[in-house]
Amino acid sequence: MEIQSEFVFNGSRDDLWANLLDPTVLAKALPGTKLELVEEDRYEGQMEATVGPVTAARFDVTIELVDKVAPESFTMRVDGKGAAGFTKGTALVQLAEQGPTETLMKYTADLQVGGRIAGVGQRLLDSVANSMSRQGLEAINRHLQGEAPAEAAAPLQLLSRPVLAAIAVVIIVAVLLVVLL
Amino acid sequence: MSAAHFGAAVSRNEDARLLTGQALFVDDVQLEGMLHAAFLRSDYAHARITNLDVSAAQESEGVVAVYTAADLGEYWQPGPLLVPPQPIERLEFHCATQVPLAKDKVRHVGEPIAVVVARSRYEAEDALPLIRVELEPLPAVANPVAALEPDAPRIHEQFESNLAAHAIQEKGDYASIVDQAALVVRRHLDHDRGASAPMENRGVVASWDRKCGELTVWDTTQAPIPIRNGLARMLGLPETQVRVIAPFIGGGFGPKIMMFYPEEVLLPWVTMQLGQPVKWIEDRQESFFATTQERSQVHDAELAVDAEGRILGVRDVFVYDAGAYNPYGLTLPINTQCTLLGPYEVPNYYTEFRAAFTNKPIVSPIRGAGRQPGVFVMERLLDIAARELGIDVMEIRRRNFLPPDAFPHDHGIIYQDSASLVYDSGNYLPALERAAEMIDYHRFLDETQPALRAEGRHVGIGIVSYVEGTGIGPYEGARVSIEPSGRVNLATGVGTQGQGHFTSFAQIAADQLGVEVADVEVVTGDTGKFHWGTGTFASRGAVVAGNACHAAAVALREKILEQAAQELEAATADLELVAGTARVKEAPERSIAFGELAVRANPLRGGVKPGTEPGLEATAYFGPEKGSTASGVHAMIVEVDPETAMVDVQRYVVVHDCGKVINPTIVRGQIIGGVAHGIGNCFYEQLVFDENAQLQNASFMDYLIPTATDVPPVDTDHIETPSPFNPLGIKGAGEAGAIPTNPLFAQAVENALQVPGLEVLEMPLSPNRLFELLCAAREAD
Repeated sequence: MEIQSEFVFNGSRDDLWANLLDPTVLAKALPGTKLELVEEDRYEGQMEATVGPVTAARFDVTIELVDKVAPESFTMRVDGKGAAGFTKGTALVQLAEQGPTETLMKYTADLQVGGRIAGVGQRLLDSVANSMSRQGLEAINRHLQGEAPAEAAAPLQLLSRPVLAAIAVVIIVAVLLVVLL
Repeated sequence: MSAAHFGAAVSRNEDARLLTGQALFVDDVQLEGMLHAAFLRSDYAHARITNLDVSAAQESEGVVAVYTAADLGEYWQPGPLLVPPQPIERLEFHCATQVPLAKDKVRHVGEPIAVVVARSRYEAEDALPLIRVELEPLPAVANPVAALEPDAPRIHEQFESNLAAHAIQEKGDYASIVDQAALVVRRHLDHDRGASAPMENRGVVASWDRKCGELTVWDTTQAPIPIRNGLARMLGLPETQVRVIAPFIGGGFGPKIMMFYPEEVLLPWVTMQLGQPVKWIEDRQESFFATTQERSQVHDAELAVDAEGRILGVRDVFVYDAGAYNPYGLTLPINTQCTLLGPYEVPNYYTEFRAAFTNKPIVSPIRGAGRQPGVFVMERLLDIAARELGIDVMEIRRRNFLPPDAFPHDHGIIYQDSASLVYDSGNYLPALERAAEMIDYHRFLDETQPALRAEGRHVGIGIVSYVEGTGIGPYEGARVSIEPSGRVNLATGVGTQGQGHFTSFAQIAADQLGVEVADVEVVTGDTGKFHWGTGTFASRGAVVAGNACHAAAVALREKILEQAAQELEAATADLELVAGTARVKEAPERSIAFGELAVRANPLRGGVKPGTEPGLEATAYFGPEKGSTASGVHAMIVEVDPETAMVDVQRYVVVHDCGKVINPTIVRGQIIGGVAHGIGNCFYEQLVFDENAQLQNASFMDYLIPTATDVPPVDTDHIETPSPFNPLGIKGAGEAGAIPTNPLFAQAVENALQVPGLEVLEMPLSPNRLFELLCAAREAD
């Protein structure tokens, strides 16, 4: 599955880069995720998608950041496995200045999806992944503009300390959500 | 003997039970202390198992046991090869059968790795994610042609390649005639996979009674007796101590004749380990991965005809997708080879296939069983030849039909039953003419279609022929008996999945015994009631088991007559059996009821003549030397929206010849069900795998099956050309409805659109795919 999209942030590229590195900001954008920095640019953790009191799917996730060029771009290698299937692939994130207070983010993810998720959600994966990514990105943008970050709309539990791998995780959450639909 | 019931549209004995919810299905079986199983299945199409840790799952609430391949010990064995390779000269065959639980490697998504047994299915499923399994992904191959490339990922290391089989069959000498042909049509044709999608998925309940030493298994199988025999052997139990019951089943359609599925092998073992009954019911999602599938084949075919469109020969070379394992041997590609010949005189035929292992679920028969791709190739090539020669599609078929005096017709190639392909009887032209009449073929082309086209509507007609080899051996049996109550019992070994056996077998017996159909209690598929036989497949239930029922009823009739002759002091020739009594024809008041005869046939004191067999009971078997070849013609009218490529099937006509019809209502039901299945196969049902062999549409949200609104009313008629190969003259009818739908649909769609260059050479189609073909044809034009 390929996901390709872009998003315009209302903030400077340097600010955005810093925000993307700020776990407290990203925590608001990334529901249901518990990640730990296990070594430089390598994160491991779990994501849980819950509906009400029920844990619908749990994923073990490993995210690695490579080719980090501050404040322009980075690539993420994502590996997620859970009862509902697996996802594996890379995502390239690029930030371009469009003005002093506007930054264009382009992201391209190429994910292999397998198991039950692949079987049940194919038709929806693209659109759900895109809309979920957008929700996460909008939350970051609100923070960037100095507004109180809104809770993400997804019915997920926020656990702790997410990090730079924001977009990748959002995509995986999106993939997970598809399972719930 | 009267024949009041055979051939009559009797209403079904089983319907009252089915319609009032009184019929027992496997999931209805509830036993005290019953546990529930859930399977951990592979998410990868091809991967090495590097680590498997079930300890956390074992601790999970409600979990009683978790088993992996390592726990099975000696019981871990690959399943048996179900159909040994047919005796084709120079055949190459490599066999790799499924295993109960994957040990080192998984070879398709959904292959089971571990089984959790818990107090409830909920608890069993909750424990699945706690199993830590590490799978190291290997490159997977989904496409059967790619699987045969030299550098393709190897699925079974013990073989040099993914080649599962290679076979060539020849009749005449195609190469010698191809130069004399006025026209040679060469095409590449593609047939993809579908699921069988029965209303009831698979299910197994196994119960071990330690004190009696008896294992009882309720199983949605189409072959309870072979399952009983196999389980007894694997578990080291006497066959008499294993009872397999295939109760009412919500549709078989073939995948339930696949035997020794992992779940079917594991549950009996689990109940013996735990001493408690255990149940597993396949859920719909599992069924997309864990139940066998069918029909992917890729053909390169050519048809050589003379200037009048008479067939000189056919050459067909194809690749058959076997899936990850091939326990069902070569039944399917051989059926393709044989059925391709259709009702036609084909003097020269070269047919070659290679079977390929792929990282996809196992392939085994689904209703039609390899016949569809063959019929698709032949009918499409005939359509194209007709177009090139300017002959009507009906006419080219008429010119090539085997004439009525050509039977029995031996094609000299090997069929799925390992014997030479012999058509027992046939009379094809009347069916073609009758179908044309019913759908008003000529008037449609001459008047209706031009008028509709003038209104801007794209309505088209199709008409195709096919044959189906049915009713193959080896044998089935039946026992008919009369109780002191006067009730007639009939037991046979084949299982029933909705075919109406409770009625058609009763009709056969009722005629012999002079009782009503409703008075015959039929039991099928319970090894405790009858324990010889093979199973329900190849449209053989009515032919093989039906004739066994007939033979048993004839024998019982003789027994009744002899017994009654003694009691009534009359000659057997002077007696008749009427309404459950034997009576003297000329003096009907001298009669005795069957129940009374049954009591007297089983005396409690006194002596009997030496050699006397007690009771009113007879058992008989029937094994046809050869199968019987059913045939038919389907015709269809479709309207196609040229903008959206949606196709609306407006009319459907089937003229079917399955020899002597036992019950026209039941046959009609079989045909209509088959047509619905066929419509699904041509326009809706396609299992889509990505390049990593991940199934993309494993739910009814995305895997479409036709609904009531997609299937038009089907007009049917019967032609009866009795089979000379069995006493009742029957041919099978179970699969026929689904067999010719694909080429029929293709022909009708082309006829509706009349876009030059539009050729439908692949199945299934979808509106999207048809739209693409349309655009390509318009561009090329």
